Order: sequence, then C-alpha cells, then structure tokens
Amino acid sequence: MKTLLIANRGEIAVRVMRSARALGIRTVAIHTELDASAPHTLAADQAVEVGSYLDIDAVVAAAVASGADAIHPGYGFLSERAAFARAVEVAGIKLVGPSSTVMDRMGRKDAAREVAVAAGVPVVPSWSLDAPADTLSYPVLVKAAAGGGGKGMRIVRAAGELDEALAAAAREAAHAFGDDTLLIEKYVESGRHVEVQVLADAHGNVVHLFERDCSTQRRHQKVLEEAPAPTITEEVRTAVTSAAVALTAQVGYENAGTVEFLLDNASNEAYFLEMNTRLQVEHPVTELAVAIHGEHPDLVALQLAVASGEPLGFTQGDVELVGHAIEARVYAEDSFGGFLPQAGRASRVRWPESGHVRVDAALESGQVVSTAYDPMLGKVIASGSDRESARLALLDALDDTAILGLTTNVGFLRALVATEEFRDATIDTAWLDSATIEAPDDAIARISVAWVSAMLDSMGPPHPFGPDGWRSGGDPAPYVVQLDEPVRVDRIRGRVDDHDVREVFAEDHVLVLMVDGLRQQAVVNVQPHLLEAVHRGQRFVFERPDPFADAVGAAGDGSVPAPMPGTVLAVDVAVGDEVVEGQRLGVIEAMKMELVLKAPHAGTVAEVGAGVGDQVQLRQLLFLVEQSLVEQSAVEASHG
Amino acid sequence: MAENTQGMAEFVAQLRERLAVVRQGGSESARRKHTDRDKLLARDRIDALLDPGSPFLELSALAAYGMYGSDGEEYAVPSASIVTGIGRIAGRLCMVVANDATVKGGTYYPITVKKHLRAQEIARQNTLPCLYLVDSGGAFLPMQDDVFPDKEHFGRIFFNQANMSAEGIPQLAAVMGSCTAGGAYVPAMSDESVIVKEQGTIFLGGPPLVKAATGEVVTAEDLGGGDVHARKSGVVDHLADDDAHALAILRSIVQTLPAQPERPTVPIEEPHLSPESLYDVVPTDTRTPYDVREVISRIVDGSRFHEFKKLYGETLVTGFATIWGHRVGIVANNGILFSESALKGAHFIELCNQRKTPIIFLQNISGFMVGREYENNGIARDGAKLVTAVACTVVPKFTVVIGGSFGAGNYGMCGRAYDPRFLWMWPNARISVMGGEQAASVLATVRRDGIEARGETWSVEDEEAFKAPVRNQYERQGSAYYSTARLWDDGIIDPADTRRVLGMGLEIAALAPIPEPSYGIFRM
Repeated sequence: MKTLLIANRGEIAVRVMRSARALGIRTVAIHTELDASAPHTLAADQAVEVGSYLDIDAVVAAAVASGADAIHPGYGFLSERAAFARAVEVAGIKLVGPSSTVMDRMGRKDAAREVAVAAGVPVVPSWSLDAPADTLSYPVLVKAAAGGGGKGMRIVRAAGELDEALAAAAREAAHAFGDDTLLIEKYVESGRHVEVQVLADAHGNVVHLFERDCSTQRRHQKVLEEAPAPTITEEVRTAVTSAAVALTAQVGYENAGTVEFLLDNASNEAYFLEMNTRLQVEHPVTELAVAIHGEHPDLVALQLAVASGEPLGFTQGDVELVGHAIEARVYAEDSFGGFLPQAGRASRVRWPESGHVRVDAALESGQVVSTAYDPMLGKVIASGSDRESARLALLDALDDTAILGLTTNVGFLRALVATEEFRDATIDTAWLDSATIEAPDDAIARISVAWVSAMLDSMGPPHPFGPDGWRSGGDPAPYVVQLDEPVRVDRIRGRVDDHDVREVFAEDHVLVLMVDGLRQQAVVNVQPHLLEAVHRGQRFVFERPDPFADAVGAAGDGSVPAPMPGTVLAVDVAVGDEVVEGQRLGVIEAMKMELVLKAPHAGTVAEVGAGVGDQVQLRQLLFLVEQSLVEQSAVEASHG
Repeated sequence: MAENTQGMAEFVAQLRERLAVVRQGGSESARRKHTDRDKLLARDRIDALLDPGSPFLELSALAAYGMYGSDGEEYAVPSASIVTGIGRIAGRLCMVVANDATVKGGTYYPITVKKHLRAQEIARQNTLPCLYLVDSGGAFLPMQDDVFPDKEHFGRIFFNQANMSAEGIPQLAAVMGSCTAGGAYVPAMSDESVIVKEQGTIFLGGPPLVKAATGEVVTAEDLGGGDVHARKSGVVDHLADDDAHALAILRSIVQTLPAQPERPTVPIEEPHLSPESLYDVVPTDTRTPYDVREVISRIVDGSRFHEFKKLYGETLVTGFATIWGHRVGIVANNGILFSESALKGAHFIELCNQRKTPIIFLQNISGFMVGREYENNGIARDGAKLVTAVACTVVPKFTVVIGGSFGAGNYGMCGRAYDPRFLWMWPNARISVMGGEQAASVLATVRRDGIEARGETWSVEDEEAFKAPVRNQYERQGSAYYSTARLWDDGIIDPADTRRVLGMGLEIAALAPIPEPSYGIFRM
C-alpha cells in the first residue's frame, strides 16, 4: 500500500492520515468546496475536490486520479454502503474494510440476525410480522430492517397498538432508507449497550479486543463511550466476546468490525443487535484500554496492515485489558437550549493537554463550523488504571476544553460525567432521554469576564484619571462591569461582589482564579460589546447593555395615526379583523404621496377611524390594532 | 517630628469625616423617600454615569458647610445641594453637574448657584463637555434676591450653556426629577437631552401655578412629563425607562462626541518620597518655618526638581519639574516675600509663559516684607511686577494653599482672583487679609490712638477684651472650611492627594490650547 485515499472528513480523516503517515503511506484527502481549507484537507499530502462525500463515482474517480491503491472510508458517509465497496473493488482498489458481500449480509438487520443465529449467537426473541398481535409478549420493538439511528423504530406496549405502529414505522423506514421491511423484537425495558471490537485478517485469524459500553445515549446517539464495560461479569464478558468472534468467523469477515449487543439488565442476558462493518467513532477507548504485546494497539494501522494482506501477527492470548478509557463526543450544539445545532466561527479553540488525555479533533481556532455536515467537532478521551481515575481525568479534560465563538456540548458532557448515575454506572440506554442534567451555573463565568474586563482596563499607562475609582478624601468607587447584571470588581482587595477572588494566572485568554478558596479556570474573550467565557466546558456569552437596543415604546400601543394631513384612498380592514404585523391596513394620499399604513404588530383591528375619501388631520387616529394576549405576554416576558 | 504627623493626620481625619457626612446627601428620610421612588442618589447617578472605575474630581464638596444653618447645623445644606466634578465618560473627560434632590429638594441657594457657575467656568476654560443631571425645584425662594437677579446668578447658567454650545463645548442634560421654571431651560438649552419617564418633568410653571394663572387643572405628567416632551413638545430627545437607562443613554451620546486630543504616553516616575510622608515633614502651624522643597520632592515625578535661581531671592523657590509626565513650573513660598523674591518670581513666570508651561503655585505666605527700608526701596513696585506677571500669564495656573494665605501674598501667589484653573487648600491652611493677631493689634492701635487723643486712658484689660473678638473672628473666618464653604477654592484636599489632583488638573487643562503670551506694563 503506497497511497491511501481517505473518503471522509473531520477528525476521523485526520486520525486515519496520522496512522498512514506513520507507516510511510501517502495520503489523499477528498473535500467539498466548503471544506477547501478544512483541517483534513490541509493535513493530507494531496487533496481532490468532490461535489459530495456521498458521491460514489466521484470518490472512486478521485482515488483513480490520485493513484491511490487503497481507500479508507472512515465511519459514516459511504463506510457501510455495499455499493461503494463494490465500486471500489471494480476499480481495482482495496477498500480498508470487509468485502461488499459481507457488507451486504451484515448491513441488513434481518440478514445479520440469521447469520448470528447460525453462529450460535444469542439474539433478541422475535416474532414474525404475520404473528397475530395477541401472541406477542409485550413490550415489543418494531424496527426497520435497513435502519439505524432510531428512525423507523416504535415501542409497542399493547396488542392494540401494534398495527398502527407497524404502519408508522414502515412509512418512516420507506422515507429514510427506501426500504420498508420491518422486524418485531422483544423490547428490553432497561438495557446497556455493549459492543465488541473484532479484528480479522485474510488468513483466517479472528480476535476480539474486548468490549465497549456505550449506554449513555441521547435519542440513540452515543454521547459517552467507555472500555471495558463497567457492569458486566467475567461470565458475560466471555459470552459476548466469544459470540462476537464466532459471528465474525461465521460471516468470513475481514478487517475491523464491531458486534453490538443489548445487555438486558433484568436477566443479565446479552442479545446480538447488529454488526458495524467499519471503524467506530469510539474506537479510541479500545486502543487506550487494551494492550497487545504490552503496547496500545493502533486500530487504523492494524486495518491498513490487514488490508495489505498481512497477518495480524498476534493471537487472542496476546490481547489484555490494561486500564479503562472513556470518550466524550464534542458536538456543535446548545445542549441546554433544546440541543439545537450551532454554527459559526470558532474564534478560539483550546483542547486539553495531559498525559491521560487524547483528543481526536479537527477543529482549530478561527475555523468556521457549518451545519452542512455532522455537528461532531471532535472527541476527548481520557484513560486511567481504573474507571474512576479515567472518569476524573475526563472531568479535568473537559474542564480544560474551551471552544469560544460558538456553543458546544462540552459543558453538558462535563455535567454528565459528573453525575452520580454515570459515576456509579447505574444508567441504562434510556436514562439520558429522561434525565435532567442541571445547566451549569454562570456565576464563575460572569466573575471571570468582569475580572478580565477590569484587568484589561487597568493595563493602560498610569494616568491620574486611570480606572482606580479614586475619590478625594474617601473610599474609591467600585469598578462596576455592566453585564446582564452589574458586577462590582475590586482587584486590589480581591473582591467581586460578595466573593473573595484572587488571581492565580492570566495569560493568553486563560484565567485562573481562586474564588472563595476554590480554584476556577475559565477561557475568556472580552470584546467591546460581547464578553465570552468558557467555564467547565460551558460557553457563556454576556452582552454589554445597549441603551438603544430596547427602545422605549417600541411595542407601541397599536394606534396608527395619520402621518400627514391628507385624504384616505383605501381602507383594507374592518373592526374585528385579524391582521399580521406589517399588513397593509389602508392608504392615504398626502402631499402628492401615497402612504401605506401598516399594522404595527399582529392582533385584532379594534378601531377604524376614517373611511375612503375622508379628509384626515395630522395624527388623527386611523386604525387601532389590539395585540393578542399571547403575544402581549411574550413581549412583556422578553422585556422582563 | 511625631508632632507634625499627629497634627496633619488629625486634620485629614477631620476632613474625611466631614466629607463622609456630606457625601451621604440629605437626611436619611429624604434619601429613603428618593430611593423608594426608584431614583438613584446624586452621587450614585454620577458613579453609574462615569466609566467603570473612573476617578471623580469632585469640586467643593463642602460648599455651604456651616453657612445656612444655625449653630450646630453645619450640614444644613450638604454640598450646597449640588454635586459637581470631573470624570471620564466614554473615555472623555467631562464636567458633571448633578442636583441632589434629597437636600432641600435640590433647590438653588446662593452658594448653589455659585457652585454651578464655577463648574461651568471650569468646563468652559478647559473645553469639557457638560452633563447636567437635573432634579431640582429651582431657586430657593426665601433667598431669591441672592439667587435670581444679579449677573452671576441663576440666569448666568443658561447664558453659559448658550455660549459654551457656541464654542463647541457639548451641553447635555438628563431630566431625572423636577425641572421647573428657570430650571426648564437646562434641558431646553442643551444640545441633546434625555428624560426619565414618569420621573422627569419639565415646565415653566408647575400645576399649582397653572391653576392660579389660568384655572386649568392638569397633572404634572400631562403638563410636562417624559412622554409629553419626547413625543409632543420635542423639548427632549430621548425617553428613558429609569435613571440607569437615562445615564446609559447619556454615555452613549458622549460616545458620539469627537474624541479628545490624546497626549503622547511617557513613562512616569513616581516621587521617590511617598506623598503620605508629607504628614511627617509639614508643620501644621503656619507660623513654623520649614523648607518647601520637602513638599515639592513629594509631588513631582522622580522627586526631580530643576531649580531656577536657587541662590537668589531664596524666600521664593522656583523651578521646573514634571508631574504625571506634564512639564510644569513651580513657584513655592519659602518665607516672606522680598523685592528679590518677587523679581525672581516674575522672571520665572515669564519663562513659563514663553515656554507654554503650566505653573503650580504652592502658597504659604504671610505677605510682602514691610518697613521703611523695604517700602523706600520699592517693594510695592517689585510686588506689582510679580502680580502683573501672575495676572497676565496665559498658561494654565494651579494654586495649592499649603499653609497661610495672607494679604498681598495671596495676589502674588495666584489667589482666587488671579484665575487659577483650580485652587485647592490643605486642611491646615489659613486665609485672611492678615493674621488675627495682627488685625487685632492694628485695630487696637487705631482705637488706642483715638482714646489717647481725647486724653483718656485704655487699660490693658480693656484692650485685651477689645482684641479677643477680633482674634476670634479671624480665627473662624481664616479656616479652610470657611473658605471652601464660600467657594473661595475648589475644595480641601488631603495633602497626600496633592500630586494626584495636580495631575488631574494638568490633564484637564491640557485639553484647551494655550494662547499667545502678552503682558501689561511692568513697573520698572
């Protein structure tokens, strides 16, 4: 293997290139126009523009044109598309992954289930679609055979709901995957997501690299992942790892794959869910928790070796668990604001640096994040000799992660990792969907931006009118920073409002304070109108109040007076009409101009003061629009 | 010199105590009533108006001290019901004039008018934008004859506003309470104005007067409230929700003004001797001589003083230095004034004038030397040269009375009549036409001559009984507090703050250009 094209973007493309480069393999990136200067594009030895990362022909053509002899698909995009694998094979290029045939078999949940059964792997009890509704034991899960990501899934708790659920799931599946084939399985009320990393070479060697637990999920999207699984017994571990190896061997799998299981907390039984025929997002936790011949494996390097036809070079007995690792996925989303995706320029990006922390990311200061692609910005992975030390290292790492300019979920991750439930590993896969994660307090962020604001102000040359609050023959006036609320800063005496504050470090936007005896770190960016701070991963934005932003009387009383003396040309509305903001109410002619009168806000027309043809005086009331009560209270709330 | 420390420290403690009292404003109940209406106190308004952490060079905080109450009511009208001073707003140095409605409704006593006019004078001399925070019932009616009619009375406020506006000095007002009768012209004469809704009112005649005059019954809000003036009359330009909003709008307006000239930044060396050590070296009894260089070295940058004519006319110390990076000339008394010292002073002031270097006068003077020899040798002629030089110099002058200020010495050393940009007093300072003892003696001598001319006798006891009230009068009227109450100065300062306030004064004065020098006739 001389040249490897990476058919992906973002952190995984950069991560694959890192391993390839270490092996002396030339790297080729593909990129869209939007990603022309993205980190993965710049990281490669060569870059080829494509219209879309999903365009199979374009990607294969790029590989041919750049002389690539192999393609690494990463995860997502085309990584599990058998059609892509086939096209690559046809082009005479090696795909780093299993064959298209294997993909075909494992890519469909129904086919994969049959393979599993054949390999003696336990599967979730299921029922035929034709089975009468009253013969099922509820609850059951209806899901799309071709699916993933929760689409086309329905939980059915009673026989009477089954038909409707099947219809809805089929519709959704047809829409999302172009295939409305469904399965009905036992629904596990409380379960954990456990998956086994497997590796198989072309010489018939199949090994597992132990398991991962990815139970912290939000709407079936993994949020935190760890290795090894914290709750399983040795017995279960042996059961799932040997089942995974058996399944991999059964299907004739080659390269790295992941066999997913659902661990039923009630029965402690593990059921096969599906096999992912690619490298997983969360593969780093395995790399950090496992050692082969005493060293942490590089799964991408192993993938490339296998793809080159080399034997694995080790056996199951050489693989051991040597510690614990936990990964947190960093997304551009406002977790405490309805998980809305965020976009914008990451003005300042600071990833943690520590011996126990690995960061796989492709986000740098100044980079623009768009909503065109997956909102994942990177992954922060912490390891330790045991789970608790890894968890504490991850807490520190997330505290040390700061992305300014756009809001991310780092603060949410931090709060999540700190919960008792995660600490004690008592959660199941449904937990996060109903758990309330307390939004972090903005107090330290507010203190930090106020402190920096005052500090920056004091950095000028000495001046008799310098900002020390001097008063003749009296105590100095406090330094008050106007934010969403006024903050009094006394840097000399070390006070911010009612807090004792001592500055430990302040350099390059990083501020470390002792606040009431506790060490607090924030990354701060103070601009003339906008002040930002990231504390414990959470970004807080403060705006200096603008006296003209909230103009008095902007809401108005809804009256529309004549702006000039003139003649009414048109009256479009009558009393009682519902109007929307800006809607034309009428027209008057004055001074040879036709003036359109518009509704100042949505509401009901309460008064019409003149008719067509009437002469009206300056400021004579022509229309009165009463705001609807709902809108009125919304306006008041936004002012309050 | 432990005695000195004790003395000055006590003076300073007393000053701080008195300042603390007046800075509270009116009575507790008046303040509560004010804040219960969601209004900020005058000094809190200023704090909110200024840039975060901005110093405030408050002027004559102890104005009206001991003037309007009976004995024991020194604080009857704290700060003369008006707060004035200079601070930074949106980076610009500005003059702020704020009525204190908790003191007699913010009405204007005679000294209130004087204080308002003095603030405008300083603003005009130094081209400082003026911000008026209006909350006043207008003239204090019982004293209308000393407030209303004369040249330097109420009407002068608006005369000044118009003329400053003409000179390009911005005039801005926020109406945060009553603004009645003549007061209504403060916002009306301003370049740009703000009113607080449901708080500020502006009218030439209030509801009672309207009813008396025309029979019309109208509420204050309908007559001249914020809504009326912002929407109908156009008397104000901005309508604010509350005090804080009004002040934020004012700040925003100042942001739209042209920037003030910036001085090049120079490294600034603190004095090598701490300003606080002034307490140790200055005797508080003005009759005790000491070397004024002890004071200079605690005020100037790096304690460096380029002394001019050190060996000539030694009772007046002259020389160049820098203060907060500003080049200055310093003229300081070191004893009584003789012909030589007066000539030296005049020469030095000419140098400063030619070089456009501001002059600082450190005043501690009992007067010019008297006696036949000195009169015959023309000390009046040489004194006149010094007074001419002081009067005619075009550079900014700053006077600090650090000890006595007596007789013609006050003139030669740039007393209030000689238009220093600022005049401050130390708390131990004394000011009068002559010392109490001398005045008593002079008056007693005149009286004794009259009695003896009639062939009568005057016993020593009777003479002593005659002199005592004279001495007492001079003792009382010579105090720095008597002076500052009447606006003979711009405030009493802690001696340790001398360097600071001089630096502030120099920054302020540097805003206005210095004209070309010219002189009257020097008597040769």
